[in-house]
Amino acid sequence: MNAQSRPTLARGVRLWIDPINGGPVLLFPEGILPLDDTTHDIVSRCSGQATVEAIVVSLAEEYEADCATLLNDVCECLSQLREEMLITLSP
Amino acid sequence: MLLAELTYRCPLHCPYCSNPVAYPGGGELSTEEWRRVAGEASRLGVLQAGFSGGEPLLRVDLPELVAAFRAAGIYTNLITSAVGLTRKRAEELLAAGLDNIQISFQSDEEALANGIAGTAAHQTKLNAARMVRELGFPLTVNVVLHRGNINRIAQIISLAENLEAERLELANTQYYGWAFQNRAALLPTRGQIAQATQVVGEQSRRLLGKMKILFVTPDYYSDRPKPCMNGWGTRFLTVNPVGDVLPCPTASSIKDLRFDNVRERPLACIWNDSESFNRFRGTAWMPLPCAECPQREIDFGGCRCQAALITGDPMVTDPACSLSPYRDKLTAFVESIQSAGEAGPSFDADTSGISFRQNPAA
Repeated sequence: MNAQSRPTLARGVRLWIDPINGGPVLLFPEGILPLDDTTHDIVSRCSGQATVEAIVVSLAEEYEADCATLLNDVCECLSQLREEMLITLSP
Repeated sequence: MLLAELTYRCPLHCPYCSNPVAYPGGGELSTEEWRRVAGEASRLGVLQAGFSGGEPLLRVDLPELVAAFRAAGIYTNLITSAVGLTRKRAEELLAAGLDNIQISFQSDEEALANGIAGTAAHQTKLNAARMVRELGFPLTVNVVLHRGNINRIAQIISLAENLEAERLELANTQYYGWAFQNRAALLPTRGQIAQATQVVGEQSRRLLGKMKILFVTPDYYSDRPKPCMNGWGTRFLTVNPVGDVLPCPTASSIKDLRFDNVRERPLACIWNDSESFNRFRGTAWMPLPCAECPQREIDFGGCRCQAALITGDPMVTDPACSLSPYRDKLTAFVESIQSAGEAGPSFDADTSGISFRQNPAA
């Protein structure tokens, strides 16, 4: 994965709001992953169109934060989700 | 997370089936009763349902049931042998909103796979898996491991990779029900588990980002028990074909537990108030050594069904735990397997001595 990768939710994975507590979750086969606010912000930008770079720029604007620092955090978060096959990278 | 066991009927006869050896009486829930369960489950906070059995495709109303759970906002996963999964049915399930299909394979190799299933199903499964990929379904491949197939783990991983599955579950047999009856033939040796663990580690790294491999080792080889159901009555419930609601799919192996039924009480009442869900909830029920163990909120004392099966008492520490006073019962059994060597039952030739799963009387 690099700055030009285009992450997207993997097949069979649904971003959902838990109606009981209002919290965002990823639903996938035999699994439910509650998302913290930052991960939710990242995952909801994984359209398959936006590059990692574009996701970072968009988050930097929202958080009024520095792109270089955010890039590391975003890549680490996406790598973990990719290991679990919750996101894949579009070609 | 709700497991909907729609029927005990099944075209396969796997000798490790998790269904009860003695089936409960009563007729299968109707379409309308399952629809009501879907609504009650949603209001209770259930986010995901697995449709299982037996073989859930034997319910002709399966697409209607999937649609009912989807309409209630619940993620739906079909856990199937794929026998009966024609293109027409798959298209109906796609239209109903089914989120994922999980197909079981018994091995990568046809004669062995058919021998384990007790029927010629392997080619049907391959055809069905390819067809559901063509339709765009996400696919999980599930293979239950035991001494008769664990040596083929590398080839099994290749099979799932070739089918382009997103997930591969390599679940070692859990020794309840039919599997407990057959455990002397099914438990792999220590060496086989070590070898399989190494292969899974290598292949997981190679397949990163392409296929997720989930590997479950047998707790007979562990020092600590598995955190069964992530705690009794915390996240999981099973509704069986006749409507009984169980805290875990094999809980009927605990002889004195009585289960409430969705025909008689709403699901939320059963979840919150029934004796069977409250018996092992939390930590107050725990005996020593669990009651004073720093792990008690990590493994929850292990598995109640296993405690009952091995010791006769569902209240005691899971004998998989090295701190259990009954651990030597498991250890003696495990060591007897090592001396028997790696030769498993030759499912493609001689299966004498194996109890194959039988269907309930019609």
